[in-house]
Amino acid sequence: MVRRQDCGSPEHQAHRRLFLQGSMAAGVASVASFNGLFSIPTLAQETKKQGKKCILLWLCGAPSQFETWDPKPGTITGGPFGSIATSLPGIRISSLMPRCATIMDKLAVIRSMSTEPSEHFQGIDVLTRGEAPRPPFTRPILGSVVAEQLGQLDSPVPQFVLLDPCPEGNEFKSFKAGNWAGWLGAEYGPVRSGGEYAIPDLLRPESLAQVDHEDREALRNFLSRKYQNEQRSQAAAGYNAAFDRVRGLMSCAPLFDLDTLPAADRERYGPGAFAQHALQARHLIENGSTFVMVANGMPWDNHVFQHEMHQMLVPEMDNVLFQLVTDLEQRGMLEDTLVIAMGEFGRTPWLNEARGRDHYSKAWSMAMAGGGIRGGVVVGNTDPMGFEVTENAIDNRRLFATIFKTLGIDGNEQYDLPDLPTFHRVEGNVQPIEELLIG
Amino acid sequence: MKNSICLIAVLPRLFAIASVKCMVVCLLVAIASGHGRLTAQEASLQGIGSQGIGSQGITSQIDRRIALGYSKASIVPAEICTDEQFVRRLYLDIAGRIPTLAERASFIEDRSATKRLDWIDRLLVGEDYVQNFADTFDTLLMGRASRGKMGERQNHWRPYLEDVFRSNRPWDQVAREILLARPEGARQAGAVWFLYERNDNAQAIAEAVAPAFFGIRIDCAQCHDHMIATEIHQQHYWGLVAFFNRSKNAKTNAGPRLSESAIGGFSEFANIYGSSYPNLLTFYESKTIDETRPEKDAKQEDSQELYLPATNPEDPRIPKFSRREKFVEEILNGHPRFAKAFVNRIWAMLMGRGIVHPYDQMDSVHAPSDSELLDGLAEEFIDSGYDIRGLVRGILAARPYQLGSLRPAGAEDPSRFAWSIERPLTAEQLGRSLQIALFQSASKDHACIADLRDRMPEVLPETFVTDVGDALFLTNNPKIQQMILEASKQDGLVAKLALREDTRAAVDEMFHAILGRSAEQTELDTVLEFVQARLAKRPAIEPISVWQSAVWAVLTSAEFRFNH
Repeated sequence: MVRRQDCGSPEHQAHRRLFLQGSMAAGVASVASFNGLFSIPTLAQETKKQGKKCILLWLCGAPSQFETWDPKPGTITGGPFGSIATSLPGIRISSLMPRCATIMDKLAVIRSMSTEPSEHFQGIDVLTRGEAPRPPFTRPILGSVVAEQLGQLDSPVPQFVLLDPCPEGNEFKSFKAGNWAGWLGAEYGPVRSGGEYAIPDLLRPESLAQVDHEDREALRNFLSRKYQNEQRSQAAAGYNAAFDRVRGLMSCAPLFDLDTLPAADRERYGPGAFAQHALQARHLIENGSTFVMVANGMPWDNHVFQHEMHQMLVPEMDNVLFQLVTDLEQRGMLEDTLVIAMGEFGRTPWLNEARGRDHYSKAWSMAMAGGGIRGGVVVGNTDPMGFEVTENAIDNRRLFATIFKTLGIDGNEQYDLPDLPTFHRVEGNVQPIEELLIG
Repeated sequence: MKNSICLIAVLPRLFAIASVKCMVVCLLVAIASGHGRLTAQEASLQGIGSQGIGSQGITSQIDRRIALGYSKASIVPAEICTDEQFVRRLYLDIAGRIPTLAERASFIEDRSATKRLDWIDRLLVGEDYVQNFADTFDTLLMGRASRGKMGERQNHWRPYLEDVFRSNRPWDQVAREILLARPEGARQAGAVWFLYERNDNAQAIAEAVAPAFFGIRIDCAQCHDHMIATEIHQQHYWGLVAFFNRSKNAKTNAGPRLSESAIGGFSEFANIYGSSYPNLLTFYESKTIDETRPEKDAKQEDSQELYLPATNPEDPRIPKFSRREKFVEEILNGHPRFAKAFVNRIWAMLMGRGIVHPYDQMDSVHAPSDSELLDGLAEEFIDSGYDIRGLVRGILAARPYQLGSLRPAGAEDPSRFAWSIERPLTAEQLGRSLQIALFQSASKDHACIADLRDRMPEVLPETFVTDVGDALFLTNNPKIQQMILEASKQDGLVAKLALREDTRAAVDEMFHAILGRSAEQTELDTVLEFVQARLAKRPAIEPISVWQSAVWAVLTSAEFRFNH
């Protein structure tokens, strides 16, 4: 008697034979350890496939341009910190950033960011998605677009990872609860991890042997696919696809374990979740992730005692960016890995009564490195007090056009999805910032 | 009732015209009107019409309108589902869980000609119906909440919701009790919680009232007229806010209450173009309530003369001009969306999607798949005195609810309801069904339910996506594993299976307990091989652990995860 399972393809037969013999588990046992994963040639090849990657250091809350990339020492509102010379003749940055000053020739800084929204939620929307919202349509966030365009969905390593140890953070908290992947669909959403909020249920229950764990999944898969095929069920297909990712994700558990990283590296990046996650981002990119977003709640929103707060935050960011860019270069990965460090806007030139700086989106700064971005370039300028952009104003669209261009993604492409009006990856047919592009 | 009379006159002509065009339609008419050979299921369905009390009109409208939709689109709908499929679906939709083995057997063995309707009626007066609908309405009206908030709801809101469904309170009365929030007697006390939990946030209240009672979302209209559903204006948003912006939470000796001021709450809202407008007392598809507005910057004096004392001295005094009362009496009362929104939501709960989909965006962008059906059902619902149970029964008794779940060839459009649309179990349904499958009994407070709520919060999602986190949860979460370990003791399913001498019978029993059906031959053979290969292994694997794996595999298969 010929038995039919699934669609009857030989693949299913082999699959079925393997699990019936209980050898499924034996065959993949080595996957349980992270190193084991990459001792399997096909997987190793896949994950090392060349392609551009991106790390976004998301400085949520919005850092001050005056205490970072565009200092105005000696002016009445310039603040107490001086400026220092950099490896780029004639270019000075805040004295809170001595390490980045030594690698300015590798960094690209835009001092003429000028965007619309000056409230957090709207600012986060525009600077992570590239465009203001047009409800009810939800534009996918940068990481989802990059994962969809450049990622390998069949890779066990998650393509878009959000590292954020802080479940709180005012508007960023509500933003995080929203729909990140938008019209691309949830499969392009981030795997969220970080700090104590590691990926839940990633480890096999202790009471269950590895062999049982693998075998029962094989049986589940057989029964569940049979239902999916016979019902021609999209919902069941999605359900089964999620289970397909489980084994891969579990095999990556060590990737998410900070303790597996060398102590010397961890010390170099420094204590604190933001620094450690930046290191973890490097590790994830090295091992097959395509986009890693590093955030830490919303610490930069310093309406009160801005100088004191920035005195703590900026040197940490300075070191993290320095270590990351230096590491990537030493590993030969900087050419293909774009690093972006920015928030959702800047801070006011003037101080408020609480010695804080408030939101300011008219003239602010951000930095990038690697991934085809030309180092040693400073784009645009602001007036002596930092009130206005005096040269080469850059908005979110031109920034995103530049990011997409350098990653090799067509910014003018139209999203062609059912029930969707015409949307482009970047609206308005804007041009990337040519002086920043190497290629 | 006007619609249905009109329909009866038109219907035969439409069929006659269509049937000339297409042979398929002749067949449809035969099915729709009950001619031709009757299967046992058909016969059971026939009996329904004669017995449904107060819901007949609903059932017959659905059957007529939906059949007309099939013929217009030249679709042959799925067959009526089997008793096995029906009993699982009915229990999930009404009792909020799969049936026990005994309940299922009792249904299958029932020889009554009207058994489907009999069981619908039986389940609709049961406590499981009360709990299931209270669960769903809690989420639809209030949203998911932290465990702390859920605990507070247990003391106030939950008993009220349960009483609503247990006593089949008319929906218009429920809406009035919730929005007027002046409870008369203990049974109404919890009604205040809808407003109270929103903690004096009038915008949050407005954004909840619009979908809960009118089936529309107005959040977008906060800053500008709705850009897409252009009939929803910014003044509707701020008008709805104004009806509630004089209300404040009040802790009284009688419990939480909503006080209301007689003054204040006047403001202007600015649109994105910089113009500003007064926040008049108005709402979508409603009139504007007259109210004397003070001159700009004029200070209003509050005084005792502006209030009446409450009947119960513990309750807050009542303003003579009460915005909340005006809203309930003059906006809510008789609002053209009110009945339609409720009918559409119940339809969505039972049919997998609304006549307007998504069920809470009944605006000009989301047209009903059959506006006459929606209007007709709303009218029937109003005529029935807003009888919730009658509406539910009317839909369950209709043919579209009882179709098979396999999409027939040629039918693409789910809004025709030509097959039973697959839908995920809610966290509560899943948690209870897991218990029934493993222990043949379920507690609504089982520890797994809170975890499932956190993990799978969605109810009636517009589109359903399984997150990889859900799969990780079902695979590795210690509580799920713990349930299977518990079922390995005493009367648990795993323990019973492991004791069986006859492995083949055990496999079949497992399918019955979890999926409510016999194992098909390929399934039987496959699971049998799986089990036997492991039992024969040396060193031997404990039977209990083999059955734990098998039970887990069936419980986490897609067939269990969905209602179909």
